[in-house]
Amino acid sequence: MVKAKRKPLEEIKQAIQDYTRVLNIGCGGCVSVCLAGGQKEVNLLNAKLNLVLKNDNRATRVDGFTVERQCNEAFLADLDARVARYDGLMSMACGAGVQLLAERYPDKPVFPAVNTIAIGIDRQIGVYEERCRACGECVLGYTGGICPITRCAKGLFNGPCGGTNDGNCEISKDIPCAWQDIYNRLKAQNRLDDIKKIKPAMQWQNQTRRLVVQDEYASRYKDK
Amino acid sequence: MSSNDQAPINQDEVRRILDQHKDKTKTALRVCAHCSLCADSCFLYHVHDKDPRYMPSHKFINSLGKLYKKKGKIDRAGFKEIEEIVWRRCVLCTRCYCPLGIDIPEMIAIARDICRSQEVFFQWSELEQPAE
Ligand code: SF4
Ligand code: SF4
Ligand code: SF4
Ligand code: SF4
Repeated sequence: MVKAKRKPLEEIKQAIQDYTRVLNIGCGGCVSVCLAGGQKEVNLLNAKLNLVLKNDNRATRVDGFTVERQCNEAFLADLDARVARYDGLMSMACGAGVQLLAERYPDKPVFPAVNTIAIGIDRQIGVYEERCRACGECVLGYTGGICPITRCAKGLFNGPCGGTNDGNCEISKDIPCAWQDIYNRLKAQNRLDDIKKIKPAMQWQNQTRRLVVQDEYASRYKDK
Repeated sequence: MSSNDQAPINQDEVRRILDQHKDKTKTALRVCAHCSLCADSCFLYHVHDKDPRYMPSHKFINSLGKLYKKKGKIDRAGFKEIEEIVWRRCVLCTRCYCPLGIDIPEMIAIARDICRSQEVFFQWSELEQPAE
């Protein structure tokens, strides 16, 4: 799922301190799972913010409300009446959620309270590792399930580069070389042929906004 | 745990949210024919060997349905059971299908909303981790 990390308290305070009533909106989806922006984190952040704002003699007061998923309008309907009572909004969802709020409430300033970091996996409570950069052209099938975009410092599709050094990347002896790992895993599976072919350069698609339409549903939207 | 999750249930607030969605809830409870057709569309029902407690209809009737029928008069222990149903047994993927048109995920989302208003929600920080 999407992984995020809360912004520093001072940065959040600076962003909202000129507003009087601020609603901090949490998300019950990915950011709850990674303990960055669910209801629990909304409560904790609000308690801290209200304290520092009071100590600074600011009139700003922050309330909280958590929706099930900020990236889907079906879960935002209950917010409408509530939002009307505030002059500023804060979101603890990922960037997608923040933007849907900003789109739905165009006359309200919306401030992100977290930094959206990665698509990743859960290692431990509070520990998450990046695994995918949503490149739109997944190559895991021929790299032994190791992502070269995320793991290789140069994001190479044909590796390793000349810098590979006893299993580590040239940028640091503490960072394993992704392509060495890919080689090792494919070798163990007797699949080295998979990386002998030269992969054509990636047609980078991330310069324009991507839209996902599942083929089975495409006919519904043909005219739109 | 959050600060006031042991406070008495604020029944006025629970009723306020129930009232807000009264028409939809009433209709859904009335039209559900207990045909169990929704069961087949829920992956969690299949994953759990067709355990009836994972049937979408069962989940909504025993969460929002229960809150509605008891007019919100449910104590913390009762809320705990509802929390188990609406968070552990449903991920709100919105994929279930009711031939009579009941929007079951919407019903479950309302139940979650009511739980949240009482500081009852799934604690991801207490999720058991697989052994190393
Ligand atoms: S808004 Fe972002 S964090 Fe929340 S469910 Fe959607 S993708 Fe996940
Ligand atoms: S190649 Fe890497 S970045 Fe691209 S989709 Fe696959 S896992 Fe994600
Ligand atoms: S040493 Fe390995 S991980 Fe580092 S840039 Fe080269 S191929 Fe990528
Ligand atoms: S929304 Fe809940 S009940 Fe419906 S299919 Fe998904 S998990 Fe099952």
